[in-house]
Amino acid sequence: MTTVIPSTDQLDALVRQVPGVDALYPARSIVATVLSTALDAVAHHAPAAPLVHTVAQSDGVRVTAKIGIGAAESSADVSGRVHDAIAEHLRQVGNPTVAQIAVIVARIG
Amino acid sequence: MTELTPANRRFLAFDLDDTEREQFGLNGHTIEQLSDYLDRDRMPADPSIDDSPECEIALRGLERLRRAQRLLLKLDLERESRRDDSWVSAILDNITLEAHAGRDIPLTHPVPTARLVVTEGAVRGILRESGDRMQNVLVGRCVLVGDVNVPGTPIVIEVDVTVFPGENIPLLADQLRQAMYAALGKYTELVVAAIDITVSDLQALPDASAQEKEH
Amino acid sequence: MPGTVREQVASPLDTAADRMLADRAADGDLRAFEGLVRRYGPLMRVQARRVLGSNDETDDVVQEAFITAWQQLGTLEDGSAVKSWLMRIVSRKSIDRLRARREHANIDDTDVPAPDEHAPHVLAEAESQTEALARVLATLPEDQRRCWTLRELAEYSYGDIAAELGLPLSTVRGLLARARKTLLREMEEWR
Repeated sequence: MTTVIPSTDQLDALVRQVPGVDALYPARSIVATVLSTALDAVAHHAPAAPLVHTVAQSDGVRVTAKIGIGAAESSADVSGRVHDAIAEHLRQVGNPTVAQIAVIVARIG
Repeated sequence: MTELTPANRRFLAFDLDDTEREQFGLNGHTIEQLSDYLDRDRMPADPSIDDSPECEIALRGLERLRRAQRLLLKLDLERESRRDDSWVSAILDNITLEAHAGRDIPLTHPVPTARLVVTEGAVRGILRESGDRMQNVLVGRCVLVGDVNVPGTPIVIEVDVTVFPGENIPLLADQLRQAMYAALGKYTELVVAAIDITVSDLQALPDASAQEKEH
Repeated sequence: MPGTVREQVASPLDTAADRMLADRAADGDLRAFEGLVRRYGPLMRVQARRVLGSNDETDDVVQEAFITAWQQLGTLEDGSAVKSWLMRIVSRKSIDRLRARREHANIDDTDVPAPDEHAPHVLAEAESQTEALARVLATLPEDQRRCWTLRELAEYSYGDIAAELGLPLSTVRGLLARARKTLLREMEEWR
């Protein structure tokens, strides 16, 4: 199976544009980085890696987005829209098999 | 020795290296013992210290040292407090919400490959926010008790709250509970069996219980 | 996801009890954590500077201490004890720095110059007592200064100092007694 990994830069921009999304956070755990790196290095962390995390595995593509949302709408509505936007994007860029699209609401309001 | 001890008489009896000489000059005591005695506010009274002119001189020296220590700390704190805010930003810029994200609380979505969650940390945030929007209430610790990651499982929420004096506590607790239910309904799909609110601490307004506040 | 400094507006949190701030911060409330940073940061800086004996690493050490505190606040059982808890973290970070500094010095095969214990006498009369105290503190031998600072500023017990520094209790007692006597002797000189 050939899996095309869609451009994650595009995904960052895409997710940010979803109505109700206030913030986009790095989806990959920083904890691992913090634990394995001297804190001095962490003080100047975040080389500009994509925030939405995408991996291709044998069962398909896994995408994870971690967001902060405004208080106006429910988390189910906003995260659902983010999911749908990512799914639609994947369809447009080669329609890979999707193993999972995860949307984590990490902050509200 | 029975001579008087003028206030300006210097205390020079102790020796840095020789405990015996130190004790000899301090009526059998050491500087350390005298320092502990001061820590206890000279209680219970020890006549062998109180009636010794040498000890009295040493105690005066220790007290002077403490006054200087306190003043130095005060000056140091004032200088540190005058710094601009950049050091605060530097600290806050380097911490992440991730450390307190807690468990993932699922949200339903019709697509099977979708995994939508709201973090426990975000939920605690909206619970605090419910209280912060009300007057004279501060929400402290919020604990979600139960299997929040299993959809449909009833859970209990325990909340510590500070209420300012003069408020009707049962009424305020009820309003807060309603606000929290509303927020939980909007932002989660949790089945909440109960919200237990503990008014754990009465806090005087504006700052009676604020310790060591520097402004 | 970095925290941001919000506008300084009067908030009930600014005057909230330590326990409230610590509990909220443990639950992930950045605003409450910022309150702790503002309330105890200056004291922690003083502590770091006194243990380190210099200013150049104070910022780093205090920042590290607060990052650790943020990550571990959930382990603090009694939020009202947050002040002494923070002081312990910053003390430990400062001591770790000193150790690292010493190891580095050993690698370079250069000795840290021993402080001159008798220098303070000279200009004593021209200084205020606090300036002189600050200077004598700075010239105390490092092990004495560490013990004294942990005791007087961070309010450690003798046993806790021994555990923190990995020294026998009797040694800690001796170092503290010696530090106190040195300070006392210098005090007599300033009068």
